[in-house]
Amino acid sequence: MPITLTPVPKQMSVGASDVPAFENERFHLGIPESIGDAARAIWFGSVEPKWEALDDGAWLQTARLENELSYAITLTPYDDVIDIHVKLTNESDRTWANSLAFNCFNVGGPSVRDHECVRHWCRVGGEFKRLVEVPRKFSRRATIQLYSVEGQPPGSEIPFVHNFRATPEELDLEGWLAVVSRDGTRLVATASKPTLFLFQNMEYSCIHAAPSLGRLEPGETGEAINRIYFVEASLAEWHLRMLTDWF
Amino acid sequence: MTDLTRREWIKATGTVAAAGVVVARFSVPPAAAQEAEMIEIPAGKCLIGTTPEQADEIAAEHGYHVTWLEGEMPQREVDLPAFLMDKYPITNRQYAEFCKATGYKEPGYWRPRETLERLLDYPVISVNRADALAYCEWADKRLPTEDEWEKAARGEEGLTFPWGNEFDPEALRWNPEATPAGPRIAPVDAHPKGASPYGVMDMCGNVAEWCADPPKPHGGLRGGCWMTSEVLNLRAAARNMNGNDNNAANFYGFRCAKEVG
Repeated sequence: MPITLTPVPKQMSVGASDVPAFENERFHLGIPESIGDAARAIWFGSVEPKWEALDDGAWLQTARLENELSYAITLTPYDDVIDIHVKLTNESDRTWANSLAFNCFNVGGPSVRDHECVRHWCRVGGEFKRLVEVPRKFSRRATIQLYSVEGQPPGSEIPFVHNFRATPEELDLEGWLAVVSRDGTRLVATASKPTLFLFQNMEYSCIHAAPSLGRLEPGETGEAINRIYFVEASLAEWHLRMLTDWF
Repeated sequence: MTDLTRREWIKATGTVAAAGVVVARFSVPPAAAQEAEMIEIPAGKCLIGTTPEQADEIAAEHGYHVTWLEGEMPQREVDLPAFLMDKYPITNRQYAEFCKATGYKEPGYWRPRETLERLLDYPVISVNRADALAYCEWADKRLPTEDEWEKAARGEEGLTFPWGNEFDPEALRWNPEATPAGPRIAPVDAHPKGASPYGVMDMCGNVAEWCADPPKPHGGLRGGCWMTSEVLNLRAAARNMNGNDNNAANFYGFRCAKEVG
């Protein structure tokens, strides 16, 4: 049985339940929490999206902000994965140097929530590391942190990222974040193809791997995929699967 | 009312204002709030924060990159006037009196009513910054600044924990368990070993406490909470928590401070 998705009407928001690896736990996704031009993205609540049920438990979310953007996001649930396919069109008269969907994965299930980042994992220089082992930059919002991603522009060159002033310099991570369960037998993760940058907020125990939709000229459309995992596996096993899935 | 300040008028008439709006009249003084035991923290200098050398040592001991302690560096000496600090975090009993007197919105977890009755001596949780400020106004008190909070917890010498420099797992409510069914929130007086040098209780663990600064929209929260599993985050100098002012998480609470006299 695929994971059950329950959209919140007119909101960029959806619940995920009946997750086999996390029995009786419920998760929340802000899809998208923000979207558009990385220099002028629109935020949650700026538009009232339409939700349309598709076959096999999938859902389509569409929205349009006149003279700025339109998007269509398809969420497809499987047994231990939700695929989020983002299609974004630049309807402004500006060239967008970088465009994004800032998708929020709230890791709120009691067996996995981690408000201290001690079970948050990343990979840097070919090594798995807990987030608390890699540099961070303290900001006025002490609980948030953004990370540049290998092969993508540094956070300092992406206005959306730079504005938070919470990105450690000279640190590039692989384009995913994972949170291992308290008992160490399961994990949740977010990864995108491609990922523009990473974000986490300890206050809400949420992780983001922002899908990059690249440079978009006026009228142009970009596409990307964000995949959310709920798996019974070790970090190394999951990482190998993720690489096999996509690369 | 013209000869009275707003606060004097409130006291004189028994009218309560919350969030700037007069919401109710009450005939009973806010007894639990006014009679809540407060401890005088004497005027004087104290150490706030952590030195780079201490941070290096703490980070190495706990397997952290030292930049995770950036928010508490450098260490500085501050000179604070005397102030009063609630001995305990605000309890459900106190907050219920506030809600009853003012008609202020009750936390959802009080339903069914038996839950509130069972939790009267536990700290109130699921309160956002506005809720904490409304209570403070009603009680004629205020939130402590982060410096005041830290002095009340660490004393003049800047102890690592309220009770001393060594961690004592029985001096606070925290959660080192590997399962989601670990220890939950505790009554505010459940850990007498956790007293600060001034006798202020329950400052680390149990509930993270709203402070008066930094400015909006993200207020400081201090002390770790019942879910905190890392000793590093239970030190009184730790500053890795803050909260969106509108967030009423189930590990956010508060206590009040007040000027002396």
